[in-house]
Amino acid sequence: MEAPAPLRKSLALVFCDIVGSTRLIARVGDLIASAVFREFIEHADRLGRQHHSLMIKFLGDGFLAAFENINDAMPFIISIESLLSQDSTPIGQAEGFQLIGRLEGFHFSLHYGNVLYIETSYGNDVLGEDVNVAAHLSEIAHPNEVVISQAALERMPADYQALTRAIEVHPFKRVGDVKFRRVKLLEDGPNRVLAELMRRWR
Amino acid sequence: MAPSDVGPMPEVVTEAIVVIDLVESTLTSNLFGWYAVGRQSLRDLRTLIGEVGTVRGLRCVRSTGDGYLLTFYDSQSAEMAAIRAVEAVFELLRRIFVRNEEVSEERALNLRCAVHLGEVDVVPNDREGPHISMAFRLEEISRASLPTALNPIPPEQFPLQNYVLCSEEVAGILSRRATHWELASIGLLKLKGFPGWREVFRIMSEEHPTDIGSRMRAL
Repeated sequence: MEAPAPLRKSLALVFCDIVGSTRLIARVGDLIASAVFREFIEHADRLGRQHHSLMIKFLGDGFLAAFENINDAMPFIISIESLLSQDSTPIGQAEGFQLIGRLEGFHFSLHYGNVLYIETSYGNDVLGEDVNVAAHLSEIAHPNEVVISQAALERMPADYQALTRAIEVHPFKRVGDVKFRRVKLLEDGPNRVLAELMRRWR
Repeated sequence: MAPSDVGPMPEVVTEAIVVIDLVESTLTSNLFGWYAVGRQSLRDLRTLIGEVGTVRGLRCVRSTGDGYLLTFYDSQSAEMAAIRAVEAVFELLRRIFVRNEEVSEERALNLRCAVHLGEVDVVPNDREGPHISMAFRLEEISRASLPTALNPIPPEQFPLQNYVLCSEEVAGILSRRATHWELASIGLLKLKGFPGWREVFRIMSEEHPTDIGSRMRAL
């Protein structure tokens, strides 16, 4: 059976990278590290479905998730970040590994762009230059921080503007300058303004 | 032994680095015998490398067990070393294509090739440094790497053998200085030990009518 034709969609793209994954493997060995990553994947997959992600693609020590509604993206990011600050016993395991204490944190990016949504032999995927932009933005993010492109921020609730820091610009090959802002998810504990916003939206 | 006892720090030069891997060489040797087939295949490959490389600035040939690490140098321009290296690889593929037509199936050579450019430490009959590791990471890319890549080509379009991959650095040089090669991004990949996403390209030759890489495109 032939795969359906690719669809062009405007989507919110969330990138997440585990901070210090190589250090983790060196510290605890690949067997335990892969169990930790597996646990993380299970949680991220569950939280993605909970927050209506269109697809989630796991990339070794991180993932790319796509959302049709950008307002689902930030609560999803916060729910991933909160895996580090609440009990996260692995799904289906009474006694198992804990993400807390094993993972140092996450780098996140949130971008909005026009991509091709396709069905492939390995699952659903999104293609396009905006995917590369989102990936490179996550490399700019500090640990436990979200880098939000201006394109994404313009489509988010105005409340978010209050959370973000000064506008910055990063040059991208083939795309040109991309404006972005940073949001700290942790500031000596959870970001209180962000927590308040989350409470209000719930 | 103190580090200072091992002699002066090696010379650092910018060279084009090529990693060539014989596809299924271990399997072939196990099936048909190292002394009957495997040894001769590697000797043939080394001879062909010498023939195509010597006139193009080949400076180092080191066995990797089932392939070779090669470096190319150009005293005038590092970028030209990259171009010469790509020329040598495609000429090698062309000669192997001709050879494969003449030998029995078990003696056929099929290669995976990767080209990178960077500063290397020159040590006797060998090269060291992170750019060498980068070239090996490129060579290790296969269909199985693509599901975790960004903007990947469909895995089934990635050839199984007789292809040439290159780093962004080499792709940039080729697109600026050479028009007879076609470059196709295979996606952004994370390479073990290297931070960030790296765009990896497949080089296809328009010049060699018998280029196996071009033949693969039609498959």
